[in-house]
Amino acid sequence: MITFENVGMRYGMGTEVLRDISFSLDRGSFHFLTGPSGAGKTTLLKLLYLAHRPSRGLVNFFGRDLATLERGALPRLRRRIGVVFQDFRLFDHLTAFENVALPLRIQGAKKAQVADHVEELLSWVGLEDRMHARPATLSGGEKQRVAIARAVINKPDLLVADEPTGNVDPDMSRRLMHLFVELNKIGTTTVVATHDEDLVRMIGAPIMRLDKGELNMIAGGTPLDPEAAA
Amino acid sequence: MSMWGRTLQFLPKQNQREGLLPWVIGVMLFLCALSLTSALALGRGLERWSAGLTSNLSVQIVVDDPMVRKAQTEDALRLLRATPGVAEASVMADADVIALLSPWLGEIPTDTGLPLPTLIEVKLTAPDAVNIKGLGERLMATASGARLDDHQAWMTQILNLAAVVRLLLAGIVVMVVLCTVAIVIFGCRAGLATHRESIEIMHLMGAEDRTISQAFDERYLAHGLKGGLFGVLMAGLTLYILIRLADDMGQGLIQASLPAASSLAWLALLPVLSGVVTMLTARITVRRALLDLM
Ligand SMILES: Nc1ncnc2c1ncn2[C@@H]1O[C@H](COP(=O)(O)OP(=O)(O)O)[C@@H](O)[C@H]1O
Ligand SMILES: [Mg+2]
Repeated sequence: MITFENVGMRYGMGTEVLRDISFSLDRGSFHFLTGPSGAGKTTLLKLLYLAHRPSRGLVNFFGRDLATLERGALPRLRRRIGVVFQDFRLFDHLTAFENVALPLRIQGAKKAQVADHVEELLSWVGLEDRMHARPATLSGGEKQRVAIARAVINKPDLLVADEPTGNVDPDMSRRLMHLFVELNKIGTTTVVATHDEDLVRMIGAPIMRLDKGELNMIAGGTPLDPEAAA
Repeated sequence: MSMWGRTLQFLPKQNQREGLLPWVIGVMLFLCALSLTSALALGRGLERWSAGLTSNLSVQIVVDDPMVRKAQTEDALRLLRATPGVAEASVMADADVIALLSPWLGEIPTDTGLPLPTLIEVKLTAPDAVNIKGLGERLMATASGARLDDHQAWMTQILNLAAVVRLLLAGIVVMVVLCTVAIVIFGCRAGLATHRESIEIMHLMGAEDRTISQAFDERYLAHGLKGGLFGVLMAGLTLYILIRLADDMGQGLIQASLPAASSLAWLALLPVLSGVVTMLTARITVRRALLDLM
């Protein structure tokens, strides 16, 4: 569904942050993206959520070559990709409900059309009582669940999460991971960047390991947590 | 204005840095409106004044014999009054002539019997209503002692000065207007800088450029209108008070250089202009920021 071939990426005139990256993500697959801090995880995810064009190499999204796509075609493509940013990036002046509804609104939906769906999703992530709270009054775990709900409200084909468990306690990390596994089970291709080895072992999914800008694919192990099997 | 309105308004209602923008625009438009009106009024005043100067002539009857002088004066008056383009011609009273001469001759009593020149004041209907040279020749033919003085020598200097002053005023107006536009643009940019993050998130969620910039169009049009309205209202109020004060004081310099209240209607255009400039600046800045993103 998504293919990278010999992709390189540099910021401005700097050295290449990513070098000769090749991989493909099958529909409905689940991958962890690991590697030490500064290895290029965020950079690779940015390429995956169409925030940057690669400096070189071929990238194919949903059967379309990125190099031949016009700028005007990108918004439609982005709507098929859900993103959980490293630092939530919620709108502080909007309620949890409004933040989650935003991607639907961007597509032109009216409030009445989406209210049920948004409320249902917020309940599913355990925020039925916090729907009309603003991010400032939410805990880190709650904010992350709002961010996840916003990322998947569109039923994206690809879900990308950048260290979604970075700011929460281990118990909340497990709960959030279960959300990703559940979403993956209904067919969403998922890539989760993390440096939490325990979580990776718990799920046992295949790993994309980045080190100094180079990528190695590692097959998944046996999940330690049977109910979390991807 | 909410995110469910006609435009998707994803910007917060209140923003500290942006909250200042309407005030900055207001103050700039206040200054702009005041300098525009005063420059225009001063310019018009100067124009009227110099037109008044050029439509005044004087005729001197230089004859020693009082009887002949009187006869020539009558002839000259008759000719002048029959000339098309002459609005008025009258003999200046002795007292006025003395007042006119006193700077050169000092105080002179009226009854010295000293021969005073006879002066005829001539008002034209328009500055160039009459061929001055031809009129002078015809006057000489009718009354040999008549000398036409069109004040050319010193008036040229005064008119040049007036032209320079008007040019200066125009320059000041252009500078104030450009400065206002520049400050509005800088103010917009400063406000927009605080929204970079929001713009990027909307962009990454798949919002079209148009969707994003519409939110700013709406917001910044309101800022510009609000600021413009405030500035122009304050300027209008200031001018109104000045005009009232000048009316109470009667004739005078202030009154002469103030615009008529009825000529201020065009001020109403300024808020609209400031709204449009603000909106376009926001739109261009946002679109440019979006093009920097992928
Ligand atoms: N916007 C940027 N401009 C320049 N260099 C950057 C930028 N973002 C990241 N980098 C550099 O790219 C490298 C990889 O960063 P990043 O992808 O954030 O790594 P990770 O997410 O694995 O910690 C780092 O050396 C970082 O300094
Ligand atoms: Mg990172």
